[in-house]
Amino acid sequence: MNTPTPMVLVVEDDEPLRTALLRLLEVAGYDVRGYASTGDFLLERPDDRHGCVLIDVQLPGPSGLDLQAALQRLAIDLPVIVMTGRPDVASSVRALKAGAVDFLTKPIEREQLLAAVRSALDRDAARRLAAEEARTLLARFGLLSDVERRVFDGIVAGRLNKQIADDLSIAERTVKLHRSRLMVKLEVESAAELGRLAERLQRVHAT
Amino acid sequence: MRRPTVLACAFVLVGALALTPAAWPEPAANKRVLVVYATGRLLPAIVAFDKGFRGLLGERPNGDVEIYDEFLDAARFSGPEYDRAVADHLRQKYSSLPPDVVVVVAREALRFAVRQQHLLPAGTPVVHAVVGTDDLAELGPMPPGFVGVPTVDEFKRTIEQALRWHPQARRLVVVLGVGTGRDRAWRAKVMAEKVAFEPRLTVDVLEGLTTEEATARLAVLGPDTIVFSPGYELDTVGHFDAPFARIRTMASRTQVPFYVPLTTPLGTGVVGGYAADFEVQGHEAARVVTQLLDGVAPPALEMPALVPAPMHVDWRQLRRFRIDERSLPPGAVVHFREPSIWEDHRNAIISAVTLVLLQAGLIAGLLVERRRRHEAETAAAHSRAELAHASRLAVAGELAAALAHEINQPLGAILSNADTAEMILDSDVDRRDLLRTIVADIRRDDVRASEVIRRLRTLLQKHDVERAPFSLDEAAIDVELVLRPEARRRGVSLTVQPSGTQAMLLGDRIQVQQVLINLVLNAMDAVADVPEPRRVVSVAVHQTPDQCTVRVIDRGHGIAPEDRSKVFESFFTTKRSGMGLGLSIARTIVDAHGGSIHAEAGAVHGSEFIVTLPTRASDAPRMAVPA
Repeated sequence: MNTPTPMVLVVEDDEPLRTALLRLLEVAGYDVRGYASTGDFLLERPDDRHGCVLIDVQLPGPSGLDLQAALQRLAIDLPVIVMTGRPDVASSVRALKAGAVDFLTKPIEREQLLAAVRSALDRDAARRLAAEEARTLLARFGLLSDVERRVFDGIVAGRLNKQIADDLSIAERTVKLHRSRLMVKLEVESAAELGRLAERLQRVHAT
Repeated sequence: MRRPTVLACAFVLVGALALTPAAWPEPAANKRVLVVYATGRLLPAIVAFDKGFRGLLGERPNGDVEIYDEFLDAARFSGPEYDRAVADHLRQKYSSLPPDVVVVVAREALRFAVRQQHLLPAGTPVVHAVVGTDDLAELGPMPPGFVGVPTVDEFKRTIEQALRWHPQARRLVVVLGVGTGRDRAWRAKVMAEKVAFEPRLTVDVLEGLTTEEATARLAVLGPDTIVFSPGYELDTVGHFDAPFARIRTMASRTQVPFYVPLTTPLGTGVVGGYAADFEVQGHEAARVVTQLLDGVAPPALEMPALVPAPMHVDWRQLRRFRIDERSLPPGAVVHFREPSIWEDHRNAIISAVTLVLLQAGLIAGLLVERRRRHEAETAAAHSRAELAHASRLAVAGELAAALAHEINQPLGAILSNADTAEMILDSDVDRRDLLRTIVADIRRDDVRASEVIRRLRTLLQKHDVERAPFSLDEAAIDVELVLRPEARRRGVSLTVQPSGTQAMLLGDRIQVQQVLINLVLNAMDAVADVPEPRRVVSVAVHQTPDQCTVRVIDRGHGIAPEDRSKVFESFFTTKRSGMGLGLSIARTIVDAHGGSIHAEAGAVHGSEFIVTLPTRASDAPRMAVPA
């Protein structure tokens, strides 16, 4: 992904520490933005851009974990790295269960921080790629007519052309015609490829 | 003699009342005693004798003795004609009141009585007194009916005692007279006895001089001389006087020890001598007279052989000539002893000493008590300080998480800034401005971290209790700084409202801060479970001229009314964790500062803890000097 510079968002109430972290990340080559509280972050609601969020657990008002939950609820899919000054098992488990990429203990070493950010960005990139693919897939699937979809379902269910023709009360030859058309529309060349695509579609639908 | 008359009246009265007039005996007739003195009257010797004589006779029951006194004045008047005339006069005078006993006092009176005894009613006993054994020897055997206790003129013993006291004496001056019979008798005795002393020292006899001349001679006597004189009655120019008066004149100017065989000159400047006291002689005579009046026959009388003649001394003269009182012969009579303060005021001294001792005991007791109390107070203050410190350690433990966070933040910032700087330096890009900012931030964060450590140290520090002036406002602001991270950690809003005045408190700032910390932590505990908007703790300082008040207010659950008085007791707690010592220590500290602490229900929710401490504005400058 050579598109725009990744953005790292930092939610940390302690101004000097926030400044230091932002400065480090900026020098490391990222676009940065800082917030003092959960409320500040949610009010601004950053645009959907490649990046990740660094959240301090101990925040005045709603905590970092609350923010993490809010992001999920609002379907903001930015990968989250949680920071804490006081690691305790309960909050780290909670953070990781809620999908935190990493759990960092302050003071944070540069390599640790940058590695966590990198891995979060990788995950974001992967997620974005998968989402892009799913979007393409769904777009192609959307091109299918009703009959073609039913034929597709029959193929994916492993039924023979003859059986599908019986199910749909159409001629076996018509089934073959629909089959070749939908393969063109879905840009697949073999039945095996079609099977994989069906699996991926199922996954996309599931999420 | 009024008493018989009174008695008679009483008898008549009683008899009349009882209607038994014949039952009462006739009152007995009074006894008469005639005392004939050889001298004139009112001489000290006579007065003393009379005192002893009448003293004893006056003690007789019924007071049945009448005493008649006659004075021969034999020194001036003498001779057979005079004797006879006086005797006739007395016989006639007492013919209607014949004496039952006649007492003759001194040598010339006895001589008179012996010669004129035929004029006395037959069988009248004669008691002689103040008569020396030498006189008796000279007068020959006494006629029947003549009795008495003689004296001894102790000239020799007196001089011997004088020489014992003045062993360095080289000269003895004796003053004598030759005028009257008595003078001559004494002279003869002295002249006979002085011989015994002549081997030891020179004996000079002064006689044939006027008293003035003798006095002048005595006045110039050198040291190592002593004077002895029995006195005399008639001097060379024909002047009569009593011996004691002569001695008084001479002794008044004599600078050397002056000894006399008489008691009457004592007090005139003489040391003293062996002599029979005249009062004792009167007493002895009265004892004989009493027996005679009671019907004892003269031969059957109980009498001592001699009137005792002990050593008589003037205490002031003993001091004057440095004679040790312990060297006095046994039985010596000391006159004019100035009672020591002890003798004079024995009871007062005992009372005073007792009082002083009691007082001293009381004072000592109070001092001991004060010391003990001081020690106890010191021990109490010490243990209070220990307890307070232990409690601060506990509080520090409670705050450790928050304080660690507080230190961690700047450390994190410092680390990130340092990392950034390193990255900039590695990248060959010239970003000096940013580096400068980074270094400044590192410095600032370092200061911030060390400030947290300083505040923590205040809590952990073990210190002796201080009494120094401090500002309650500053103390409260410090408390806020210590507790703010903890408040943040707990999601509690903590506000501190200083009074904004300059008033100072006198006491231990750390302990007072500890009180506030305990109260604020309690308040934060109280709001732990309430909805967030109510998680508010505020501290407000108010100051008036003489006291200041800190109110710690929370909006929590409040204290049950029945617990409000118990919260300050040790080990009382409503919390799941906690020893229940925080408020008890707070109260101990506030008490030690002369203040008070109490709890009230809050205006709407929660509770209010109010600490009142006296301001010591007037003391502040004084305390400020040693501080």
